[in-house]
Amino acid sequence: MNIVKTRENDKMVLSLEGRLDTMTAPALEAEVKGSIDGVKELVFDFEKLEYVSSAGLRVLLASQKIMNKQGSMCIRHVNEVIMEVFEVTGFSDILTIQ
Amino acid sequence: MNPDRWKVRLQPKLILGLVVMAMVLLLSLTLVVTTMYRRRMEEYFSKIAFDQASVAAEIIDGDAVRRYYETGKKDAYYHEIHEYLLMVKQKVGLKYFYVVVPEEDVMVYIWDSGVEGEEGVCDLLDEDAYYGGGHRLMHEAFAVDADRKILVTRNAEYGYLASAYVAILDSAGVPVALASVDISMEIINQQLLTFVAGAVLVSCLILIISAVAYYYYVRHIVIRPAVILHDAAGKLVKDEMDDLGNFTIDIHSGDEFEDLAQAFQYMTVELSEYIKNLTEVTAEKERIGAELDVAAQIQSSMLPCIFPAFPGKKEIDIYATMNPAKEVGGDFYDFFMVDDRHLAVVMADVSGKGVPAALFMVIGKTLIKDHTQPGKPLGEVFSDVNNLLCDSNSEGLFITAFEGVLDLETGEFFYVNAGHEVPYINRAGEGYQPYKVRPGFVLAGMEDMRYKEGSLTLQPGDRIFLYTDGVPEATNRENELYGNERLYRILNQNKDRTPKELLPEIKADVDLFVGEAPQFDDITMLCLEYKGKTECGI
Repeated sequence: MNIVKTRENDKMVLSLEGRLDTMTAPALEAEVKGSIDGVKELVFDFEKLEYVSSAGLRVLLASQKIMNKQGSMCIRHVNEVIMEVFEVTGFSDILTIQ
Repeated sequence: MNPDRWKVRLQPKLILGLVVMAMVLLLSLTLVVTTMYRRRMEEYFSKIAFDQASVAAEIIDGDAVRRYYETGKKDAYYHEIHEYLLMVKQKVGLKYFYVVVPEEDVMVYIWDSGVEGEEGVCDLLDEDAYYGGGHRLMHEAFAVDADRKILVTRNAEYGYLASAYVAILDSAGVPVALASVDISMEIINQQLLTFVAGAVLVSCLILIISAVAYYYYVRHIVIRPAVILHDAAGKLVKDEMDDLGNFTIDIHSGDEFEDLAQAFQYMTVELSEYIKNLTEVTAEKERIGAELDVAAQIQSSMLPCIFPAFPGKKEIDIYATMNPAKEVGGDFYDFFMVDDRHLAVVMADVSGKGVPAALFMVIGKTLIKDHTQPGKPLGEVFSDVNNLLCDSNSEGLFITAFEGVLDLETGEFFYVNAGHEVPYINRAGEGYQPYKVRPGFVLAGMEDMRYKEGSLTLQPGDRIFLYTDGVPEATNRENELYGNERLYRILNQNKDRTPKELLPEIKADVDLFVGEAPQFDDITMLCLEYKGKTECGI
């Protein structure tokens, strides 16, 4: 999985590419933990992301919890497979998906 | 390696080096000394020769010489000079002492000192050929104030000679003859021979003595420490592996060998420390591994695994399996009687793997079972469990779970879903279809989530199939997912099978798909068949 990070002032965009699963989720978790300080708007761009497993969901949930305290978070360009995962797991209720 | 081989290999090399060095020294010294000595001696002899020749040239009357040369007649003066030359020759030890007139091709004798009748002694006006470089040198010397050049001849006939020529002048100052002196230098060769023989003898003696001394010295400073090191290394492996920490080598030479011994000792002690640590770490790892195995066993033994599970309950047939991945994981299923006529089934998956997931699974399973009470709506059960799990969730784990409660008498099936895969339902043998249930949010994800109970009614012969994402997300070598389509197909190929027959079929199909790829996630399945109220009743 590739992570491309762009940051403008207090807005951070993380563009993910590949599969977000048990093997790759720790990398994303480290990336988020390392740079989320002072971010008021966090955007995940899933345009090139193929798949999200439960380990990936855990990172998204942790990010959402942090952003609930310091701003907002949304996820863009979610494909059908991932959308189904979000719906089945109820994540679609707590995440902002655009 | 045999320590004797050390001595054989190292000693000759060092001794050979010593011999070669001594040879080179001796050779170059001899060469320099003999050359210098020869030059000095030749100078010395030529000085004697010139001195005598010069004295003779001064004494002898040139006009008389000219007369003898022209007339060939001897007189009293002639004999006087002859006596003089003979005396000097004998007293000084010259080889030849003579006076000649150098003509173009031959030299003409005026005097040749020698006893009468002696062989090779020439008389007045005898002629003789030039020898060696004599021709050129004699003609050069045949001048007023000529350079003093010595002629050195070494041949079999005359031996090793130094010849000096000085011109005899007449009263007009014109050269008329040469006073010539040949002096034998054989003594130089003899002395040199003695010197070289002596030098070689002394050198050999010194060489032998130093070689012996050197042998013992090298033995002491090189071979002995090397052998000690060698023995210590050998002994170390043989006898002292258990006591490396106290390993010492007794070398106090104060040179590199002592450094080497200390380095070796240091290495051994450090090695011992390292081995000790490694042993501890390995033991610790083995202990943890063994405990993890026990944990995995405890975990799987927490899942009900005796089938038929409820031999007394003819209304239902239930079967469930879990195939754990290598690591302890977080999948679990559960089924239990809530009261006499209500059966609860649970299928859940903790996000993540390893010990944290396993511990969380134990908490989740216990809480769900505890809170499933007769008459308590399932929505409330999950809401309560969710809040309790949130309290004890520092790791950010969550559980996807599906719980259903079946009324054995009516077939009414209440369910609640917390983000779990939807069940497949096979109604009256018509085939399995995914049953859309409204998904709630996962358990332990966020506090105060509301979960809503749903319900449906099962008819006798209906079957429910529950599973975790380990089934559709089983992955083969090409990174393809097993997927819901394959699951749907295999379920319906086996739609008439009993729960106990169905699950192995699915597992076999998943295994076939996955092939050699390692199993990443637990594969957990449960199938429940409602047979309806039996004629004999409960």
